[in-house]
Parts: sequence; structure tokens; C-alpha cells
Amino acid sequence: MAETVEDPLISHIYSKFGSNGTELKSDSGILSNQSLSTTNIDTSLNPNITYDTTDNINNQKLRRVSRPPTLRIIPPLNFCPVEKQLYRSGQPSIINQSFLQELNLKTIVWLANEEPNDDFLEFCQFNNINIEFVGIINEYYDHDNNNTPNHIAVNPWDSLNESTIKKALEIILNKENYPLLTCCGMGRHRTGTVIGCLRRLQGWNLASVSEEYRRFTGARGGRILVELLIESFDITSVDIDSTKAPDWLDI
Amino acid sequence: MNGNQSTFKDIPSDSGILKPQVTYVDDKENIEDFIGREVKLDKYENHSALVTYHPQIQYVPPLNFSLVEDQIYRSGFPMPINYPFLKQLGLKTIIYLGDLGHEKPKKEKKKEKEKSKDKDKEGKKKDKQNTVDTYNNYLEWISTTDITFHNLLIDSSQEPFNKPEEYRQAHESLTKALYIILNKNSFPILIHSNKGKHRTGLLVGLIRKILQGWCISGIFEEYEKFAMGKSEFDLEFIELWQPELWINDELKPDFVRI
Repeated sequence: MAETVEDPLISHIYSKFGSNGTELKSDSGILSNQSLSTTNIDTSLNPNITYDTTDNINNQKLRRVSRPPTLRIIPPLNFCPVEKQLYRSGQPSIINQSFLQELNLKTIVWLANEEPNDDFLEFCQFNNINIEFVGIINEYYDHDNNNTPNHIAVNPWDSLNESTIKKALEIILNKENYPLLTCCGMGRHRTGTVIGCLRRLQGWNLASVSEEYRRFTGARGGRILVELLIESFDITSVDIDSTKAPDWLDI
Repeated sequence: MNGNQSTFKDIPSDSGILKPQVTYVDDKENIEDFIGREVKLDKYENHSALVTYHPQIQYVPPLNFSLVEDQIYRSGFPMPINYPFLKQLGLKTIIYLGDLGHEKPKKEKKKEKEKSKDKDKEGKKKDKQNTVDTYNNYLEWISTTDITFHNLLIDSSQEPFNKPEEYRQAHESLTKALYIILNKNSFPILIHSNKGKHRTGLLVGLIRKILQGWCISGIFEEYEKFAMGKSEFDLEFIELWQPELWINDELKPDFVRI
């Protein structure tokens, strides 16, 4: 039988400090976020940072923290890590920039049919992030008319086609492009399609792939056509360079 | 047993996991036996042909499985069908937030019995026995691995601010969990509860706020993805609670911003 193992550091901290500062003020009916330190450390200068110099456990220097980081970062809509250094989200806006900076992105796979907004393009340029426009399929070449580009109406809610998914996956499966963010307008269906196909490549069962897809689709739920696309996508059509494939891919 | 077996040399696959298999064929005629089984032919050294077929790799991740950060995962209670998947994650630590494995005092049990009707009682008993078996099987599986298991008691949040004893317990468990996460030597970590919705969402929300400094609305969006509608008082808890932590910067994982 497995036994619960206690981390000696944790138990030491517990014996020393107890759970003070985490107490519930039951009489007032309000959760207290006040820190009541029993140790005699002068916190008047900087209440956020205090070094515990009185007792270093195994020469470990401990720093007292009783507040979240002062600068709050705002994740983009539908943001989620997919694998190591691989992320998914909806279209980031200006308020997400400090969040994105933390990710040190190298590549963004843009799956939406429309161009991203100018702020976003500027941000990518400024941070040397390479954007791969994979989802924009709004023109075709008219062979009867001197091969001139001819714009046709493509609806933004149309699904991706198989060659687009293949192209996106081949970028995602090259670790030279990492850290990488996959995104589309809302981070729901197009991103969901590509990540769903990636999960199939990883050998996930279809029920779990759908569960993940639906988690990001919002109140209206998933689209059956997207799930069909994920189910029927031929994963053997994706060309993977095994020397460049990310470590988490079992091939 | 098939007569053809002797001419095949199977490379054993990992037990429990279906992997693409490679089979060497000495006798070309036997290749016909593989028709209809996704066969690819190739020439290979001493053998007349190399047959590879790819049964689909089937990994079944646990309920509500997702990445939280690199090397931190979240999920619902892992079942035997999920063990091969968990194995390939190479986990070092598991944090279980829940009430299984913590027996209730006898008094409460008696009260429960008195309350429930006879029919319900039998049904409940059976159900409870199943859960206990599931939990024990799980512990047995963990003991076959090198995973360090932390069982941290949190009762499911039912009533907000009128059960100080339960809240003290929850505070203690959550603080312990945060300390485990603040030590990168314990990575990769799986955080799980029973369904991977509320208690797991609570801890992940606290990591997002206290250690990473996410804005509260972003945390709520993420919580909602897994909880799907029901949230009890977890959101208030995430917003209001702030423990006092002693951080060792040498052991601190990279995603921690404080």
C-alpha cells in the first residue's frame, strides 16, 4: 500500500508557523486575508517581502509572501496550455500583452479567416514573433482569366479544410517553432479542430478529445461538424520530421 | 496456436499500452496473413520483408484532464483505464484533494444511518464500498510506481462561512498543496480531486492568483470551463483567501511570478 509521504520542509514550516495567517475569522463571517505573524519580524518597511534570517532550514533562504504579485496579468480569452511551450487561445488584445510577454513566444499559428487586428500585428513585430497565417483562404486563382486572384465569399464560421489542418499540425510538430501559440478569433472551433487532431496524433481516445474541444466552445456548445472533422481527419497524412518533433510526441 | 507463429519475431510492446508494432517476416508467403491489417512493406536486412502495422495507440486521459503549466497537470479521479496514460507523463508527485481515505468518526456515521431510510441505506452502502475499492486499487497502483502521493483532506464545499472546522482543514490542505507546488523538485505533478471540477479548480485558481498574479476574471473563466455551471463558494474563496507563504527562491518553479 502506498503511504502518504510528508515533505520534511513542509512539516517543518508547519510546526514552526502553523497555519496562522490562514485563519478563518468565524465570528465576523468573513474570510480574513490578514497575515498575523507570530514571529517577531519587522514588517513595517516592506510588508510584502521579509527574509526569515532567524531559522534557515538546511541553509534554505525563505522569503515571506503574503500578497499576490502586484502586477496582474490577463490571459487571453480561452487561453490554456496544451503541452510544454504549446498554448492555445482566442485573439489576444492589447490588455493581454504583458501576459503574452511572459510566454516568450516564437511563433503564432493564426487560424482565423480574417486578418488579426493591427495592435496584435504590431505587438508580434515588436517582439519578433513569427505569425503563420494558415487559416486565411479567401481567394483563389481564376485560371480562365489570366490567373488573377478572385475573391470569393468564405464565411468566418466555415470549418478548416484538411490541407489547412495538415499545414497547421506540421508547424506545431516542429519544435524549432516553440514556444508556440495557436489561436483564432475566439479560440473555440478552429483552434479546437487543430488541437483535437493533434490529440488524435498523440493517441488520445475520441471521447476525451471531444471533451477537451467542448470545454472551449462556450454556452452554445460544440459543433458536430468540427467533431466529425476531428474524427475523420487522416492523421497518417501529416508529415512529421522525427528529429524536430517535440519530446512529448510518442512516435 | 497458429502455425505461422514460428516465422514471426514479435518485438514485445509495453504491457498495457498498444504501441505501433514491428513484426519481422522471414517467409514472404506469410505476408498474406496480414492483409486487411494496415500493412506497409519494406526491405530489411536479413529478413525478406519488414511488416509494420499500426494499431491505434489508445491513451485515455482521466476525466477533465488538462495542463495547468508545464509539468503540472489537473484531472478527475484516475481509473485503471487511465493508468497507461498517467505512466507516460512520468509523474513524480500526485496531490489528491478530497475526502476519500479519511474515515469519518463513528458518531457521524451513526447519524447518517439514522437519517437515511432502509432502502437508501443499502444503496448507499454498496456505493460507498465501490468508492473505497476504487480508492484502494488506486493506492495499490501508486505503490507500483515511484510517485509520491499526498492525500490532502478537503470536504466538498457546501455551506459558505459557517463551518470553521472544515475551513481550517481546507486552509491547511491548500497551503500544503501550494508548498508542494513551490518546490520544483516535486515536478511533474498531477493535481486531482474526484471529478476534477471544484476542489481542483479551487487550487488551480489559487495558483493562478497567488503565485502567478492572474486577474480574477481570467481565473473565473478557467474555473468555469471545468466546473460547468456549479461553483458553490469556490470563487469567493479564490478571491478572498491569502495565506502567508515562506518561499525558497532556489526551489521556485519558473512560472511563479512572486
